[in-house]
Amino acid sequence: MAVYKRTYKQYEGELTPGWSRFLILPRFSYARLFQSKFLLMFLAICCIYPIGAAAFIYIAHNLSFLQALNVPAGNFLQVNEKFFVYYCNFQATMAFLLTAIVGPSLVSPDVTNNAMPLYLSRPFTRTEYVLGRMTVLMYLIAWISWIPGLILFGIQGNMAGWDWTKDHLWIAWGVFAGMFAWSVILALIALAISAWVRWKIAAGGAILAVFFVGAGFGAVINNVMRTKNGSLIDLTQMMATAWGQLLRYDSGNSISALQAWASLAIASAICLWLLSKKVRAFEVVK
Amino acid sequence: MNKKMHWGLWWAQIRSVIRLEMRKTFFAKRGLWVYLLALMPVVLFFADSANVLRDRDRRAELETTHPAKAEALRSIETGMTKDQVVAKVGEPYGQTTFTFTRRNESHSRTVYRYTDGANDYVFTFRDDELAQIRTNELRTIANDSLIFATVFQFFFLRLAIFFGCVGIFTNLFRGELLDKSLHFYLLAPIRREVLLVGKYLAGLIATTVIFTTSTALQILAMGWHLTGPSMTEFLRGPGWGQIGAYLGVTALACLGYGSVFLAAGLLFRNPIIPAAVVLLWESANPFLPAALKKISVIFYLQSMCPVVAKPADMPALAALLLSSAEATPAVWAIGGLIVVTLAVLALAARQARALEINYSAD
Amino acid sequence: MIASPETTNQGAAAPPPIERSLVVFDNVSRFYGEVLGVNRVTLAIPPGITSLVGPNGSGKTTLMNLMTGLVRPTRGDIKVRGVATDDPERLFRIVGYSTQFDSFPKGLTGFDFVYSFLRLFGDSHADCEARAWKAIERVNLAEPAKRRVAGYSKGMRQRIKLAQAIAHDPQVLVLDEPLNGLDPLVRAETIALFREFAAAGKHVIMSTHILHEVDMISDQVILLANGYVVAEGEISGVRSEISEQPIQVQVRCDRPSAMAARVFATDHVVEVKLHTDGGGLLIKTRDADKFYRLLNHIALEGISIESVTPADDNANSIYEYLIGGEEATR
Repeated sequence: MAVYKRTYKQYEGELTPGWSRFLILPRFSYARLFQSKFLLMFLAICCIYPIGAAAFIYIAHNLSFLQALNVPAGNFLQVNEKFFVYYCNFQATMAFLLTAIVGPSLVSPDVTNNAMPLYLSRPFTRTEYVLGRMTVLMYLIAWISWIPGLILFGIQGNMAGWDWTKDHLWIAWGVFAGMFAWSVILALIALAISAWVRWKIAAGGAILAVFFVGAGFGAVINNVMRTKNGSLIDLTQMMATAWGQLLRYDSGNSISALQAWASLAIASAICLWLLSKKVRAFEVVK
Repeated sequence: MNKKMHWGLWWAQIRSVIRLEMRKTFFAKRGLWVYLLALMPVVLFFADSANVLRDRDRRAELETTHPAKAEALRSIETGMTKDQVVAKVGEPYGQTTFTFTRRNESHSRTVYRYTDGANDYVFTFRDDELAQIRTNELRTIANDSLIFATVFQFFFLRLAIFFGCVGIFTNLFRGELLDKSLHFYLLAPIRREVLLVGKYLAGLIATTVIFTTSTALQILAMGWHLTGPSMTEFLRGPGWGQIGAYLGVTALACLGYGSVFLAAGLLFRNPIIPAAVVLLWESANPFLPAALKKISVIFYLQSMCPVVAKPADMPALAALLLSSAEATPAVWAIGGLIVVTLAVLALAARQARALEINYSAD
Repeated sequence: MIASPETTNQGAAAPPPIERSLVVFDNVSRFYGEVLGVNRVTLAIPPGITSLVGPNGSGKTTLMNLMTGLVRPTRGDIKVRGVATDDPERLFRIVGYSTQFDSFPKGLTGFDFVYSFLRLFGDSHADCEARAWKAIERVNLAEPAKRRVAGYSKGMRQRIKLAQAIAHDPQVLVLDEPLNGLDPLVRAETIALFREFAAAGKHVIMSTHILHEVDMISDQVILLANGYVVAEGEISGVRSEISEQPIQVQVRCDRPSAMAARVFATDHVVEVKLHTDGGGLLIKTRDADKFYRLLNHIALEGISIESVTPADDNANSIYEYLIGGEEATR
């Protein structure tokens, strides 16, 4: 019989704060994601519109620049709520495409490879897991949506003066709240689909299908039933209505803002319910 | 003698592959979403028919309790006040009013509802001024044909069948690679081309059965609210032709999209990317030059639809997608589609011959 | 039964008789990008039980995938009993392969799994059903055959894969770690099955890590390391060719100390260890022939020799000598 010295000791150093443990998941996810050249290229492309928008703001406040080029400025160069609505619409589309690229790899590998018990058998709750995975996507979306949006507002405010900024702070709030809400919706849908669809490839297709089929079927319901309520399943229209309310802009949709927010809240609740079914520390094998 | 024997063997092998795949496609839990996609418009049309039947009874009842002449109702114009409208056509059978505040000012919106027994009229007043007139006409076969054409071309062909075929056909090879079960087929004494044909036919049978059944049920659901004489008149006229055309277009859609996505599953590690490209290409079809338009499945399919859709209440872009199909003789359309399908399958067969098993890379 | 291409193929020239009984690799290399799978492999594997032995990543599975056409060689040519590996219609009528992959088509029972892939041969339902049951009974899975494969234990999944590989009575059976997950009783039955195949003049080519089983059942062994064939042939023949390694011999005798002194007087004995029980010696010598001649002299000198046994004429030893050294020098 051999006798070995007991050299193992429990860690006795300082522990990281409990509230920040969920950030471990994004840290490792980004290490993996940023190895993809395609993703890096896509993120670079997402910066084109904000840079163009910044140039637009500059030109709008420097009409002498256009006059020097003999270009008639006219009234079209206005930086108002419509400008920010266009910005939100465009970057929201890019955020949707980013979700289709990144979303499938968030939860499905853990479910497929039985890694869920490995996470949840540690002092790590399901909520922290979901929060950690959501952070991966929301952080990326933030960098292509409300962060550049607020920077644009800052540039406009700086050029237009303090009075303009004071009177239009609601635009900044609208951009932040609208894009944040969109990132939450996208993240929840991506996570729910990624948890239920085992293959990453199929999950990517399912994310596309949820939005396209939802929009298409919503339009079809409206056309057949001669109603406007079909639009309630078109999440992109609902978000556009919500932005219309936040940015005080008539989106042209006949659904009220309250209905739109309610529809988005129900979609989020469904996603959370679906996630609760799959994010478990055990697996039932039939 | 040898070739005859080979054909016999190949046909037996194709049948075996189809048998194996049917179990996985038709009866698998992971395929339930395709059934859902196919059933969605059926449920919608049934709900609509039930609504129309209920509405018809309601309007007939209201005609006796709240009579209003059709000419009087048609003479109402925007800008009139509530009193002017009531003076012309009487009290409405239904009325809703709500007030709201916008920018510290109080406003009201009132809705008056009338019927002439056949059509419904909805007058919306903003602060006592008639702002909007909406008419819900009694449904006729002509209306129904247009509505069906819109739903079929906008949703069913472009989205339901499209995504259904993406799911089923990309699964045939790429799904097997992800499941690490494709090697069982490659370890059987079967030519790769024969295997490809077997899998393609299996997918085609599954999608054709699911989606043509859906088309037939949609037509049944749509026609459910029609009276006997209307239905008989429709069937004696263009009815059977239109039904046959829709079923044929559905089957051809499965044929065309199936080959594209089978090839995508073989050629690409992530076939969703080419599927997204195909979706965008098909959506851009109205804007393409004539020669490029022909390199798409939807071009031929839309040209074979018996009724040109005229969508009401649809976004402008969607309307553009539906109205741009050029009329092409059916023979050319079917021939073109078959040529596109065979070309794509030939490309897929080349890739299947070169297929190797390296699951870790996939 | 529908005639197969093999029986009706009259166009291709028949390979020479000797090749029709061999699995031949002719200067075969396979690269995965820059990563070497196997390099310059030339083998002629005769019928019988052949074990592929090597550490993880040595190229065993690559070799098996090459001989079954699942991957194509970057260079070189492979023929299995005269049939090219890019001719699946003929190849898989004579080859059965039980892979390492522990995954199955979804939703199938054990019987369905074996039967459905037998139908791909083009044979009739009755024929396939009979052969499927025969194969399933051969691996003792008749009772759970109607249950889904997804619910099988590891050992049962291994056996159903084997049943599927043998159902069409192949001439060449390729098996990737076939005894993995099997309990001792089933393992013995499976080994008996392999011996039966080999006795009928068929090929059984298997990869394994269990070296004492290689000793027990294999007729020949192929050692692989880093994608190269390091040695091939019968175990004893391979051992005798490893001249740079002294052979080890165990000798039981009545006077081990005297014997030790006697053998140390020679120049070819490099090491002598006394047994702990004091009844024998473990001797390392560079020249086996000289040593055995010396033993005769020692016996005549009055030392009673009870037994002489080679101590390293086994797979474990040659693995250590040939591959263990290479691993150490990496």
